[in-house]
Amino acid sequence: MQSLTRMVSERSFETRGVLKILAILVGLLVLASVVSQGVFLQPRNLVNLIYQNALLIVIAMGQLLVIVTGGIDLSVGAVLAVSSVLVVLYQDFGLAAAFGFALVVSVVFGLVNGFLVTYIRLPAFVVTLATMQIGYSVSKILSGGGAVYTGFQGAAIPTSLTEFYKAAFLGIPYPLLICLALMVILSLYLRTSIGHFIYSVGGNERASFLSGIPVRVVKMAVYVISAVLCCIGGVLFVARVGMGDPQAGTWVPLDSIAAVSIGGASLSSGGVGTVVGTLIGVFILSALNNVMNLLGVPPTFQPAIKGIVILLAVYLNSARKQN
Amino acid sequence: MTRTRPLEKLLSWMSQNSALVALIIAFTIGAVFTENFLTRLNASAILFQYAIIGLLALGQLLVILTGGIDLAQGAVVALTSIVTASLMRLYGVPGAVLGGLAAGTLLGIASGVLVSRTKIPPFVVTLGMTGIARGLALLISDSKPISIEVQSFVDFGRANIAGIPVSAILWVACSIVVSLFLSRRRMGRHIYAVGGGEESSRLSGIDVKTIKLVVYGLSGLLTAAAGVIWTARLSSGSPIGGTGYEMESIAAVIVGGGSLFGGIGSVSGTFIGVLLFGVINSILNLVGISPYWQGTIKGVLILMAVALSQIRRTSRAAAQSV
Repeated sequence: MQSLTRMVSERSFETRGVLKILAILVGLLVLASVVSQGVFLQPRNLVNLIYQNALLIVIAMGQLLVIVTGGIDLSVGAVLAVSSVLVVLYQDFGLAAAFGFALVVSVVFGLVNGFLVTYIRLPAFVVTLATMQIGYSVSKILSGGGAVYTGFQGAAIPTSLTEFYKAAFLGIPYPLLICLALMVILSLYLRTSIGHFIYSVGGNERASFLSGIPVRVVKMAVYVISAVLCCIGGVLFVARVGMGDPQAGTWVPLDSIAAVSIGGASLSSGGVGTVVGTLIGVFILSALNNVMNLLGVPPTFQPAIKGIVILLAVYLNSARKQN
Repeated sequence: MTRTRPLEKLLSWMSQNSALVALIIAFTIGAVFTENFLTRLNASAILFQYAIIGLLALGQLLVILTGGIDLAQGAVVALTSIVTASLMRLYGVPGAVLGGLAAGTLLGIASGVLVSRTKIPPFVVTLGMTGIARGLALLISDSKPISIEVQSFVDFGRANIAGIPVSAILWVACSIVVSLFLSRRRMGRHIYAVGGGEESSRLSGIDVKTIKLVVYGLSGLLTAAAGVIWTARLSSGSPIGGTGYEMESIAAVIVGGGSLFGGIGSVSGTFIGVLLFGVINSILNLVGISPYWQGTIKGVLILMAVALSQIRRTSRAAAQSV
């Protein structure tokens, strides 16, 4: 009963959190429009914003689930790189087979992460830091070091894949549709009892275990889901740039963690975080980048901005939790 | 019964010194299966390459002993190199080296302040610092390497005394100092105490906040020292270099018997851990394995080492509770 009331109060607390970051986003949008003299809110810039962020949105959703269980996934960029390379290299066997192969390898990465974190009880950041190294190394072995444009036997990337990225359905670009579908599915999923398990494992693992929640399965699952989403991210990457890159996604871990923590998830203890918050987190990040660009701050400084934003967001979240 | 005792003793010694045993095995494999392993040149090359990781690992050890982690080391190496290279033209070698050391130390102190004064977990703090250090390095250098033309500085990076690289001598000297600091000074003992139990340390009057501040500051300083040597070797500052160095330093500490949960670890173990990675790396190079494989091999070794230390820890805890 007590946990129930806590859950309810946390829910409303989360709604307040979402409103607060929404306010920050609106403030940034206004600032961006003023600084850019109206360019920012023009449809073209907004469409660009979605194009640029479709990949990040997909991956941040997986990162969100992992962070809610109290873990972290630093291997997201590497799994993206591996799948981008695999999807291109296995074109010889057709698009579907290439997808399938990339998916299998990504799932293996997710299973390894999940197993070591869950069953051997290793800290998630060490495990995923190591699998990140392995992922980048594997993608370099596969691709021979550089970017790949064709399959092993020389099969080109089908134009259907690259055109798909630019195409639109009912005026909505496909990448955006994928993001929307994903977020709807995830939001619904988090409202099912299994979804609630994810929150409760992150909130209090021991209590969850004692109340019969399959803690291990839940924790394994989030790492696998995160890896699958990275695989989708890898396919989107190939569709966008027309190549597989063994060094793709180096900034994805930092970006996705920043987005999730701006979105109100708690990196210090787990158990908190929402899909909508994460989406807004992605938009705040890119609005921030956009404003910085418009203000003339060199893009090279952006990693530092992201670092500061992560620290600030996590600090504010942990301070809020104490009250 | 009495006859089996020496064997038992040997086995328990081996399990307690698994890093040393692994080093001896790796060394033997290298000596038997590769031609040029047992040469002075190769030994010198291993020391030359791994002195940098050795310095990083010393800093990482101090942080890990308190139960923390420093993920910013690789980025701080890059920042140090950029600061050193860009100050070289203006202030000469002493000013540039001091500037580089100061930059690294300041970033370490910033991490220390955040870890000790806020509730942000150490890996998040130092992950954020990674972004900040990288961003600063890219900003200062405009994303381009900065070349260094001062010959004396470049020579320093490659200098030898009696065939031993100067950087390796610095590494050994720092190891001795840190080892004495940990065993002889009150603050050194307190570092272990904080990692063993933060709350009980605080209750017994240890200034936990200062200890944490100091270890991250020292890690920054040692990382910066490694960064200066790295810069001298490259004869340029690189804003994108040093990625993955933190992984190797963490691995060396853990392989050397350190625990990621704090309170356990030693300078000698870490030293052996670094040498082990140096020997393995050397064998891989001599056998001619593609450098692309090295990330996989290192990653797997790290996971195995961390997993083994964790399994040992849980079995020890189980033995104690019985």
